[in-house]
Amino acid sequence: MHKRGIATDSTYYEESKMFHGSLKNIMGTRFDILIMGQNKLKSQEIWNDIVFELRRLHRIFNRFDNTSETSKINREAILAPVRVSPEMWSILQSSQMYYTRTLTLFDITLNDFSKVLMNENDHSVFFSKKDISLDFGGYAKGYAIVKVRDLIYRAGVQHCFIDFGNSSILGIGHHPYGDAWKVSVGNPYNCDEAMDEISLKDLALSVSGNTPSYAGHIVRPDSGEPVKGHKAVSVTSENPLDAEVLSTVFMIATDTEKKRISKNFKVQNISEYRL
Amino acid sequence: MPEKGSKQVDTSLRQFIKDLGFISGGAALLATTPWLQSFTPDKAKEINKEKARIGFIGTGSRGVYNMQAVMALQHAEIVALCDIYPPNLKEASGLCPNAKTYTDYRKMLESPDIDGVIISTPLYLHAPMTLDALDAGKHVYCEKAMALTMEECKAIYEAYQKTDKVLYFCMQRMFDKKYIRGMQMIHSGVIGDIVGERCHWFRNHDWRRPVPSPELERQINWRLYRDYSGGLMTELASHQLEVCCWAMRKVPESVVGTGDIVYWKDGREVYDSVNLVYHYSNGVKINYESLISNKFNGMEDQILGNKGTMNLATGIYYLEDEAGGKKSGIEQLIGQIGNKIYASVPAAGPSWRPETKEKYFPHHILEGEFHVNDGLSMIGALKDGSDEILSAFCQACITGEKGKNIVEEAYLATMLCHLGNQAMAEQKQVTFPEEYKIPYMKF
Repeated sequence: MHKRGIATDSTYYEESKMFHGSLKNIMGTRFDILIMGQNKLKSQEIWNDIVFELRRLHRIFNRFDNTSETSKINREAILAPVRVSPEMWSILQSSQMYYTRTLTLFDITLNDFSKVLMNENDHSVFFSKKDISLDFGGYAKGYAIVKVRDLIYRAGVQHCFIDFGNSSILGIGHHPYGDAWKVSVGNPYNCDEAMDEISLKDLALSVSGNTPSYAGHIVRPDSGEPVKGHKAVSVTSENPLDAEVLSTVFMIATDTEKKRISKNFKVQNISEYRL
Repeated sequence: MPEKGSKQVDTSLRQFIKDLGFISGGAALLATTPWLQSFTPDKAKEINKEKARIGFIGTGSRGVYNMQAVMALQHAEIVALCDIYPPNLKEASGLCPNAKTYTDYRKMLESPDIDGVIISTPLYLHAPMTLDALDAGKHVYCEKAMALTMEECKAIYEAYQKTDKVLYFCMQRMFDKKYIRGMQMIHSGVIGDIVGERCHWFRNHDWRRPVPSPELERQINWRLYRDYSGGLMTELASHQLEVCCWAMRKVPESVVGTGDIVYWKDGREVYDSVNLVYHYSNGVKINYESLISNKFNGMEDQILGNKGTMNLATGIYYLEDEAGGKKSGIEQLIGQIGNKIYASVPAAGPSWRPETKEKYFPHHILEGEFHVNDGLSMIGALKDGSDEILSAFCQACITGEKGKNIVEEAYLATMLCHLGNQAMAEQKQVTFPEEYKIPYMKF
């Protein structure tokens, strides 16, 4: 079933040779992109491809849509092994890799990923424990940004800025009047204050944190304990998915875990903010 | 305060100029701040190894603050100290035991071994001391404001036209990095056309110093008495009115205002509460407010443009098209690119939150750390440009090069203070008198 009604709009700014594409409700948030230096027609073509791709991913990951592959697995994998699409297989493999490399702190089941049994032979998954389900909340935006970046590179775009739901950002090339894309990270507890300013040049940024109206949504999978306190983390990396995963993991990891996890990744920078 | 032997202030003045971009194509900045032309690194090389011989007139708290800054300089030495109040002179002498001490500044001015004097005395003494020191052939640095009366200001200005000596007034915002950068941004159109200026200075303090015996009341608490001081206007507003004119590149033509003693009814003669509106010929106004029985609003120098607001004291600016919190980071970025501005985009944060009031996103004038003055100290704030202007003065004592615009800016700022006091005292609109206009000013 093709989901309809996801609003998209776009504007071309002739003088700046700048295209702005926006999806107002995708993967539970909003997606914006600035494509620089392309003509209007070319930009529109790239944008159409991006919209197509994002809607496709939305359909795969949306666990609240009972036709999505994720909800099919969540419904059926407790009963019998479920064969999954090649893409879902590679997503699960990548999730497993992150699970291991983050010392089990990145867990798409938010519970116990080791109970997701993956059969290499027929690419099937089986939940060996009740109450296991997949939630790609801390993963999907990073994955989508990687996919969009591939489209952008393939189209030959050199300068581009992507803002996915405020918390996942990618700067490709640089701002027309600067040598990078400069982003400030706002303090959710004090609207007048920036916690940080980060320059992105072919770099992805992901921010996780509590906010006054939304705290306790980040949970340590092994204990089920929510992260408390005024805290936020930003991660920059060339790999948007690494950034996405680590920003959440660093919200819950202990100092010892952080040290060990850092060795498993090549990230540009990790900053923690006590607010 | 830097210790002698640690990071030297003259190197920091050079670094300061460097930071401001004078090396790589800083011509535009020099146009905004011509008084810095004499302090480029090349110029600093010319004074290598030479030392300005400095005498201090007035060694109270501000004098000692200035002394410590000068003591940290490689290109200056303090050779003389003068104060009429023995405890202050003793304290200063303790800091600088090799300096000769005086109780009569005229005697000190007779010494041929002094190149320049630094005057940190009550306002009513600025004019006689400055004029005597120039007469005695000394370079002069004097605290703000310029002088106690308009006549005295004019006399100093005229004496300065005739002398070949250097004269500085402590208009330290002219040497404050965030102000200089902020002004450059204002003049390059970042906040659009200036449509208003708002400055305020709030404290909650009686503005008094302890007095050991009653006959010293006026000598020590000189700020509170009309024969000694212009009150809040000359002591606080003078800096801010200078900033307003610097931003506007014009001088207000008239002023209205009211002043009262609202809270500190302790026998003082100067207002503890002032509200004034200065009016420029193009209709733009400066709203000035100072109150010293509530400090909630702190101190701020705000320049309002149709495209943004420059908060110079805190070093932060806000853009109008980012107001309301309705625009996403991307939309702000689009606005900035349209305006050819490279600034950070408030794109990142943990998640959305509901917007309940009009919000602006802060942008920093300077990158990295810089000092923000809370305006509460009666003596002076660290890193507010005071060290740089003192270093610049000592350098000028060696080169003999006059500081561009400094006297002129001090003159117009002090004149505006006196006109404001007059407007409040007479309860009427006061226009800038023709006989006090100088060629420097545009109205």
